[in-house]
Amino acid sequence: MPEIKVTPLGAGQDVGRSCILVSIGGKNIMLDCGMHMGYNDDRRFPDFSYITQNGRLTDFLDCVIISHFHLDHCGALPYMSEMVGYDGPIYMTHPTKAICPILLEDFRKITVDKKGETNFFTSQMIKDCMKKVIPLNLHQTVQVDDELEIKAYYAGHVLGAAMVHIKVGSESVVYTGDYNMTPDRHLGAAWIDKCRPDILISESTYATTIRDSKRCRERDFLKKVHETIERGGKVLIPVFALGRAQELCILLETFWERMNLKAPIYFSTGLTEKANHYYKLFITWTNQKIRKTFVQRNMFEFKHIKAFDRSYADNPGPMVVFATPGMLHAGQSLQIFKKWAGNEKNMVIMPGYCVQGTIGHKILNGQRKLEMEGRATLDVKLQVEYMSFSAHADAKGIMQLIRMAEPRNMVLVHGEAVKMEFLKGKIEQEFSIDCYMPANGETITVTTNPSVPVDISLNLLKREMALGGPLPDPKKPRTMHGTLIMKENSLKLVSSEQALKELGLNEHQLRFTCRVQLQDPHSDPDTLHRIYTHLKSVLKGYTIQHLPDGTVMVESIVIKVSSSAEDTNTKVLLLSWSYQDEDLGSFLSTLLKKGLPSGLC
Amino acid sequence: MTEEEEEEDNNSRSDGALHAVGWRRRKRRLLSPAARVHLSVLRGTHQWYKDLHVYQLEHPTQVIEWTSGRTVCVAGFSPSKNEILELRLPRKLFADENKGLCAERDFKVVHGGFTDRPVRCLRHVPGTRCAVTGDGLSSNLQVWDLGGDDSDVIRRTGSIEGRRRRTGVSEGGSSIAARPSSPPQILHGAQISDVQLTELSSGQTLYQLESDSADPLSSLHFLSDAVFLAGCSNGNIYVADTRTSAAPQLSPPPPPPVSSGESVLWWTDASAGPDPSGCRVVRLSSSGQALVSDLRNLGGAVSRAQLDVQTRRCGPDDVRVSWAPALDDCIAVSGFSGAVQIYDASVWTSELQEARPLFEHRGHAVSPEQSDDGVPPILVTSHVWHPERPRTLLSAASDGSVHVWDWVDQSAADKR
Repeated sequence: MPEIKVTPLGAGQDVGRSCILVSIGGKNIMLDCGMHMGYNDDRRFPDFSYITQNGRLTDFLDCVIISHFHLDHCGALPYMSEMVGYDGPIYMTHPTKAICPILLEDFRKITVDKKGETNFFTSQMIKDCMKKVIPLNLHQTVQVDDELEIKAYYAGHVLGAAMVHIKVGSESVVYTGDYNMTPDRHLGAAWIDKCRPDILISESTYATTIRDSKRCRERDFLKKVHETIERGGKVLIPVFALGRAQELCILLETFWERMNLKAPIYFSTGLTEKANHYYKLFITWTNQKIRKTFVQRNMFEFKHIKAFDRSYADNPGPMVVFATPGMLHAGQSLQIFKKWAGNEKNMVIMPGYCVQGTIGHKILNGQRKLEMEGRATLDVKLQVEYMSFSAHADAKGIMQLIRMAEPRNMVLVHGEAVKMEFLKGKIEQEFSIDCYMPANGETITVTTNPSVPVDISLNLLKREMALGGPLPDPKKPRTMHGTLIMKENSLKLVSSEQALKELGLNEHQLRFTCRVQLQDPHSDPDTLHRIYTHLKSVLKGYTIQHLPDGTVMVESIVIKVSSSAEDTNTKVLLLSWSYQDEDLGSFLSTLLKKGLPSGLC
Repeated sequence: MTEEEEEEDNNSRSDGALHAVGWRRRKRRLLSPAARVHLSVLRGTHQWYKDLHVYQLEHPTQVIEWTSGRTVCVAGFSPSKNEILELRLPRKLFADENKGLCAERDFKVVHGGFTDRPVRCLRHVPGTRCAVTGDGLSSNLQVWDLGGDDSDVIRRTGSIEGRRRRTGVSEGGSSIAARPSSPPQILHGAQISDVQLTELSSGQTLYQLESDSADPLSSLHFLSDAVFLAGCSNGNIYVADTRTSAAPQLSPPPPPPVSSGESVLWWTDASAGPDPSGCRVVRLSSSGQALVSDLRNLGGAVSRAQLDVQTRRCGPDDVRVSWAPALDDCIAVSGFSGAVQIYDASVWTSELQEARPLFEHRGHAVSPEQSDDGVPPILVTSHVWHPERPRTLLSAASDGSVHVWDWVDQSAADKR
């Protein structure tokens, strides 16, 4: 039976990284190649030994697909392609291709420069890796090779995030990556058509959560900013250049307008340049399926938000500043942080995850004394707020996605099976599909029932339709006779004659012969006549002929009569029929063995 | 009031409360009903929340029951297939000291199960991982194992048979109360004559209320380990002791009679406390009248008030009234509309006067008359107080929303 295999790489129950192997129709595909942010040693990389014990991965993988730029989905990509070795194609969407290298480089800098790691990929490796990337557009089918094709769908979640549809022949798999089903201010909701894949692979991490509404999170954010401004404090918001930053800006702008607030809001210039650049990508990307949820505006035409200058950080009074980088590990945001950290009236709001080794990570873990360069300590007196604005699907979202795509099977990765039984039951009950939950390192095999398309010749179809009346009777299935020809990659069903013609073969004829002994005192011709009469009365509706050459023919069956040499009353009937009339022939021989009825004349 | 007028009105109030944000950009037609609802939460000028979390369940619930200090059970009440969910409240709510460092705001579905009946009543059996549910149709109850660490499935383990002494009685399911002590015992019944105490493990009936009265029950409360109070929907209250077979003590609602004409429904709650004799009972009528009585004299009212509720035709299951477990004299009321109201009963007198709520949570619906587009108004189906945190409540509404909120007492806070 044809089957698809899915293996989430990794060990144990850890959920920190995504890297899934799929074997479909003889092709091997790697979905995402993430880094586990919690480990400092080799456990942070996926375990590629499943693919091959040593050596490069190129021969074993047909392609690698990256769903979006978060490090737990792409962080190990340069390691995989340059240090383990892979030269094949790597697919990702355009925004992901633009943003990945920046995040990877930042991450590399932090890990190597700040933490002094040695076994890590270099800047050059990141560049070499990105050279292997082939960008994808949404809803565009890409032929990886003759048999494998992929297509990206909009996933929401972050800029450039995609769900990917993989097809080999008539088997297909959809991998969701991270997605969300409720539209954001600047991102739409995930969307996919009723593609009915054999398998839908999704993260189970958020499957058992019910999300607090976005408006509550926003309310909390605004409340914190407002309280800080009211007491004369300064708010620092370290951001990466796009997505979330824009959303928070729009939020603050309108809040300032409503509340008639006067405190200045700044956006650092480094951000402006990057953001404008990505905004152009953003526009072409988000034109797909966003509609009303996207507010068309020039990103920096805010009334209340101005460009930041370094010197403003020393200005007295309240203010809000958006600055990069997002994890406070270097640059402007760190500079501002150092100036403002000592005042408890101030606040820093971290809108996302911070990698280990960064100041962001340390303060989010409650550290209040930081060691800076030159052995100086920094007392952290300002208020630290961790707010998560990331958009993830939840329990309801998974059900919605399944309803959209209508997969035949469901695979949930990165969850403890024991904690997923309820969801599994829910999916099985509502959709009547099987739900698999492989542990990391475990392979699950899903048998598929692919349909094989076959062309039927018009002649054959017409001929079959002509038999047995105009309409097919579902209660009486009829066997259709034809020949299946497999040529190149197509299959077709034709009549036997046509097949023979195409193949240049002659049809063989098979004839059966049978001798039946009969007691009959009449002469040979009379016996023949008696047989003829008998058969005519029994086999009504059949063509029975008494031919002048001394034979009786029933359809194509030939009957001859001769007398036995020893006894003229013993007649020997010779029956001969072709293979096509096998049934009738057998019937006749059985019938005639019973003898002729006496009442015949 | 149009949206614009409302905005101006809000802007003129200068008490620094949290105003709506970002909504002006959106044309009104783009606002879904949910967005309009949330609008009201953010616009609340006189309302302050220390914490506010808003969730959307797939199906509305009529029950919210604590199964621990951090987990609650909710369940659907559609006629056929329903889910029972045990939800863990977000860590952020409880991270009192390091709230800022905790970003986790979501409910976690820790256990879930399926039932093919509606769940109209759900009680957790204290000290166990058991829960008992009633479907509102028959007097039989279902018993469930909420699951432990080794499985996330809530499984049905058995049932408890109720009795119906009188046949042909109007519909209305059983009320359920769990005895505070072990071994686990369940007090249940649909009307006074049916009330019995069943031992959970054996199914044995340990006690039956001796009364022929067919008064339908609205609630059952244990006042101590053996003494319980049965509130009836006609306003009668019965107090009985499971140790004796003596007839229960009956107290009708205190005079003067509440408006005649349409039949009035009553709901009851008894305040918990170490000393049952110090217990107070509140009765709430469907016309919005609240009466507070002492347990020793349930026929009389210590204080009363006409509550500021939107009276409407209520069903016996619609309204909830509850004493705050950790606040003196505070009562929460829900079910008349899309709001949950908190009243301070200490300012009520023996004369019937109008009372204004101390706090109103209007997050579930903008206003009860909001029936534009022919959409039925959203009503709060249930609310509960947190057993220890003084001002934390959970409320659920007919649109499937569940809110967790910690309100600020405005009267205690400085006016700006």
